[in-house]
Amino acid sequence: MTMSEVRAAVRPVLLTVRELSVRFRTEDGPVLAVDGASFEMAEREVLALVGESGCGKSVTAMALTRLLPGNASVSGSVRLGEQSLLELPGSDLRDVRGRDVAYVFQEPMTSLNPVLAVGRQIGEVLRRHQHLRGAAVTRRAAELLELVGIPLPGRRLREYPHQLSGGMRQRVMIAMAVACRPRLLIADEPTTALDVTVQAGILDVMRDLRAETGTAILLITHDLGVVADMADRVVVMYAGRTIEEAGVDALFARHSHPYTRGLLEAVPNPQRRAGGLREIPGRVPTMHDSPEACTFAARCDYADEVCRRNRPLLMPGPAGHPVRCFHPLPPAETSATTAQTGDASPAAGLAREVTE
Amino acid sequence: MSALELVTVDSAARGTGAARGQRILRRLLRNPLAVTGLVVVVVAVLAALLAGAIAPFPPDHTDFGAALRPPSSAHWFGTDELGRDQLSRVLFGLRVSMAVAALSVLLSLVVGVPLGLAAGFYGFLDSLVSRLADTLLAFPFLVLAVGLAAIVGPSLGTATLAIGVAGIPAIVRVTRSETLRLRGMDFVAAAVADGASDLVLLRRHVLPNAFNTLIVQATVAAPAAIIGEAVLSFLGLGIRPPAPSLGVMLASAQPLFRDGPWLAVLPGVCIMVVTLGLNLLGDGLRDALDPRETPR
Amino acid sequence: MTAALEVVDLVKHFGAVRAVDGVGLCVAAGEVVGLVGESGSGKSTLGRCITRLMPVTSGQVRINGTDISRLSRRRLRPLRRAFNIVFQDPASSLNPRMTVADIVGEPLRLHRIGTRAGRLARIAELIDQVGLPSEVERRYPHELSGGQRQRVSLARALSAGPSLLVADEPTSALDVSVQAAVLNLIGRLQVDLGFACLFVTHDLAAVEFLAQRVAVMYLGVLVEVAGRASLFTAPRHPYTQALLSAAPIPDPARQRTRRRIVLPGEVPSPIAPPAGCRFHPRCPVAVPICAQVVPPLRPVGPSGELVACHLVDDDGTGPRLA
Repeated sequence: MTMSEVRAAVRPVLLTVRELSVRFRTEDGPVLAVDGASFEMAEREVLALVGESGCGKSVTAMALTRLLPGNASVSGSVRLGEQSLLELPGSDLRDVRGRDVAYVFQEPMTSLNPVLAVGRQIGEVLRRHQHLRGAAVTRRAAELLELVGIPLPGRRLREYPHQLSGGMRQRVMIAMAVACRPRLLIADEPTTALDVTVQAGILDVMRDLRAETGTAILLITHDLGVVADMADRVVVMYAGRTIEEAGVDALFARHSHPYTRGLLEAVPNPQRRAGGLREIPGRVPTMHDSPEACTFAARCDYADEVCRRNRPLLMPGPAGHPVRCFHPLPPAETSATTAQTGDASPAAGLAREVTE
Repeated sequence: MSALELVTVDSAARGTGAARGQRILRRLLRNPLAVTGLVVVVVAVLAALLAGAIAPFPPDHTDFGAALRPPSSAHWFGTDELGRDQLSRVLFGLRVSMAVAALSVLLSLVVGVPLGLAAGFYGFLDSLVSRLADTLLAFPFLVLAVGLAAIVGPSLGTATLAIGVAGIPAIVRVTRSETLRLRGMDFVAAAVADGASDLVLLRRHVLPNAFNTLIVQATVAAPAAIIGEAVLSFLGLGIRPPAPSLGVMLASAQPLFRDGPWLAVLPGVCIMVVTLGLNLLGDGLRDALDPRETPR
Repeated sequence: MTAALEVVDLVKHFGAVRAVDGVGLCVAAGEVVGLVGESGSGKSTLGRCITRLMPVTSGQVRINGTDISRLSRRRLRPLRRAFNIVFQDPASSLNPRMTVADIVGEPLRLHRIGTRAGRLARIAELIDQVGLPSEVERRYPHELSGGQRQRVSLARALSAGPSLLVADEPTSALDVSVQAAVLNLIGRLQVDLGFACLFVTHDLAAVEFLAQRVAVMYLGVLVEVAGRASLFTAPRHPYTQALLSAAPIPDPARQRTRRRIVLPGEVPSPIAPPAGCRFHPRCPVAVPICAQVVPPLRPVGPSGELVACHLVDDDGTGPRLA
């Protein structure tokens, strides 16, 4: 069985992205932000789209419902259930947005209208997509605020965004996003701007919501801790290409792409202190067109002529999941690394103590 | 290892600092409106500078036999009631306008920039300077000019002074806000940590970074100065006839409009074109002085 | 030996906002102390007060024994050779109108260190020490990446040979792989050059990597100060425990089995901090005295680590959350 077949057997597929490419026309020439990205999401699944800045993850997320500026051209296919999103007429697409696909962004202050009370903004979503009116709107809005863990929801409805803290605002954003019980929630760095204790609360809210409403979550992040905490599966992106796709355990313990390993080993870990942190020399390049080469070759320890002359395809790798690499890492090597990062570290010690 | 970082430096970063001027120029030249403005301004400046050489007649050369002639091959801009060649007068008048614009803007900058820097940098001076600037701003420009003319007598100098003084509050305001913005930047704090005195901070860190905005502000002030000079001369508060000035020419052309419309139209169009050119250039400069290069 | 940095009862109020409300801290020569806290903790303000980038409301700041908290700016300037700071935002921490060489050489020029030729040589040496190629000297900041700019900031801050470096979130605005490079660099420079470092951050992993001792700040006061190993294996203060438990670990198997302590509410405003222990409204194990009496930061346990909590006994045992 192929990966998709296995997955489909477990859960139906919700979102299929095939060969998604996004080109921007800029003053300095064309910029290829997303280069043939392909992945799938199942219903109720949390898929993390991971990469550093410039890898194209945010652009991918916005491209799914055509939320990109005018100078962007999108090609490829995006299917949500039965609908092909890139071909939908504008009015149908607007219905999809908000009702079937909802977004939560990083900066709630700029996503919320500062001159409207919170209740009105939630109400707007409810009125448009759920066709509620009058007292039903207020009731439902209060319910939603309670759902996302905001105390005294009745009072909060009358408040303005600037009166709320960052964490609260993000909860309001999430409430607005799930108001219509969307099938897919796209969260673009939802906790990056928040303190770590607040982040924990927001992640809990998203997790609870998923359990309760069955929403699938596409989580865009650069934080591997958040990935470990939330994701069922992970797609790693680099320079506009999807380069590895695996279940979360497999990604951390049996990753195949050298860049993935670079990312994982760049995070400080007590076990590896002696050697220092792994640095990946160079920077994520800005692509102007799709090269006939591996985009990571310039920074890769294992790159050879094959890598520099040929475009690698996304194919099943030695660990069993798709990877875009001519010389993927053998699973034995990566498991050894993670065994080191395993139980002996101090933080794990804390976890053990806490659970005892 | 680090060499690789530089190799993959993205396309936004090109060349060293010496080429920065060239880069700005290139960006400017890519904008057709800005190019138009630049051409107009350059032509106007050249015309003004070379007026003595290129004017077909001396500006006050009268020729009663050729009075009130419409534009012709002998007199491209026609002649006025005294037979004076209008083209020559416009050229010399342009020289006056440009001179007044340059000097008055210079005056505004010389007084306004230090005041703005002081206001932005030292909180206790801020209220004082801002109130002074606001007071000055509250004075209607013409009242100021009339007052000055009454004290020192109308002349080109008076006009320049009046316009320059009237332009000070705007410069103070812009400089002050730039100073406030830059003061909060980390690199200024870093300079303080490095041991910089206030003077060093202003000279090396604030002023160079405020420069872009000030340049743009100057190109905004210049057209206003030209119009200001024309107005003042028109009202008799500036340059005295028979010396040519676009404003004076407009004034003299008023009673003769029916007989000689070209006498008013041509200087008027001239003012308009030069002002428009300066505005377009200013806008173009603002865009060309790349915001990516300034911290936000 | 005189401590590189000694902070005594430092207070910084911005009008009604009590950003730093009585903090005492020591950093020994050559030591790296991590200062962690979330937004509203006052840690950045503390860093800026220590480097006299803003006036101090009250308290003392001693650099190598000399109290700099009350000195006039003029008297302070020559003393600034001994301490410097690097900031978080690579985009705004370098003067866009100055070349890298000028930026790095600024402290040398301002303190009149060496001859012109000597300064040029020193600049070249510093550029090399922070791992940048020499042609970077002629470049302008906008031509550099975020990671490169942070390296330049480090070179600048260290050029006059300070004995104390305050690093205010130096890696927070960088990508993960670049953070690694900069953290490695700071660690290496600190070992090679031997300066004391106050590493202010919210990133616990970075602190665990670099620091020897860790101070935890909450709403303007210190709640715990301990050695790195001790703080991360056996945190005593309830807030420290919550903080450590909230930070997700990049290991799904372990992250799944961890019990998380979720704190109710959010960090209150520093304008009207709660009475008694500032943490008590959110503390899962608070008792009545916590709302009435401010717990002093006192030494507990065998190694004399500091905790400000009524529920921690003198021998170091205290509440275990979750």
